[in-house]
Amino acid sequence: MQNGDVIHYELKEFQVFEPLFRWARKKSLWIVAFCTGCGGIEMPPLANARYDFERFGIMINPSPRMGDLFLITGYVTPKTLKRIIITYEMMQDPKYILAHGSCPINGGVYWDSYNVVKQLDKYIPIDVAIAGCMPRAEAVMDGITTIMKKIENGEADGWKRYRENYEWYRKNQDELFGEGWREKDARRWLAWI
Amino acid sequence: MDMNEKPKVEEKVEEKVENAQPVEENKPELPDTTEGKLVEVLLEKAPYAEGEVIRKRRVKFTVPAERIHEFLELASEKFEMLMQISVVDWLKEGQFEVNYQLWSLSESVHAFVKTRIPRDDAKLPTVMDIWPVAETYEREAHEFFGIIFEGNPRLGPFILEPREYEKHPLRKDFNTLSYAKTIYGEDFDRFDESKTNYVI
Repeated sequence: MQNGDVIHYELKEFQVFEPLFRWARKKSLWIVAFCTGCGGIEMPPLANARYDFERFGIMINPSPRMGDLFLITGYVTPKTLKRIIITYEMMQDPKYILAHGSCPINGGVYWDSYNVVKQLDKYIPIDVAIAGCMPRAEAVMDGITTIMKKIENGEADGWKRYRENYEWYRKNQDELFGEGWREKDARRWLAWI
Repeated sequence: MDMNEKPKVEEKVEEKVENAQPVEENKPELPDTTEGKLVEVLLEKAPYAEGEVIRKRRVKFTVPAERIHEFLELASEKFEMLMQISVVDWLKEGQFEVNYQLWSLSESVHAFVKTRIPRDDAKLPTVMDIWPVAETYEREAHEFFGIIFEGNPRLGPFILEPREYEKHPLRKDFNTLSYAKTIYGEDFDRFDESKTNYVI
């Protein structure tokens, strides 16, 4: 593929219905149940009576193949990041990433730690990042509302950016983990790779 | 910055006083409680160790490293459970302090067994034959501090990434900041030395 070519993933004959599809996508965000880090503790209050995100069509789903929304909840270590990347690539397009707290943005309180990834956006595309440590359930709800608006406007395009700039992301990942990390590590958990 | 740069350690100069009179050792008497009796019984069998009662349900032993296995074997009669092996890095003294935390199920007493070994060429015998659970703790101490537990068959990379395993990141002379700069790159504001863009 040459530079400047834009890949169109939306089928041309369905472009008329695209606003309808976007509206439908925003109304059924299924969360991949893979809470990485401390923010996972914010999920029970979100799912319980007070915020009850299921009324927005948001549901926690054990399979990445049916998930839309990937929550990166808190700090990311290189070891977790490998699993995150593999899980993210297993998800179907379109897929969205919501990053909780300051750790995925710039390392947070672990900014000089030897095993916390400082900029998550270098390795996978983030659509919405919530600042602060730890965001309360209101803030997470606000982030989800923002991502819904972005989906409706067509601005939540992390999955497109990942495809178009795959070489750049891959280069950053290889710099951190070393060449051939997929073959070395992922084969242990995913026999078909 | 160099990744392997070591922080400077001020060397302590101790003046040796000649003709120093031997100080009479005033060992504190052990209290007449369950803990006190426990320490007394154990010290009778192992006179090379020192023991004291810190407070209720908490006792402490200091043992020379050569006889640690022997002492723990004796102690395991009363303290049946090994809770944790933790390590303290005394950089200026050039020593590792290894703490074996024991719990007595019958007496409900928590014991610290402390021993000191030199930082370079740190070696200890394994206690897996007394408590099999020690395997995990020894692997962890080996990975983070580089202590070799002789007789443990599974010493090697355990939790960390291979490149961290070589460095032993919990040692005090491991420079975390320069390591993070080398691995994750310097292209973000938190590492700004002038603090103009300092966030935290």
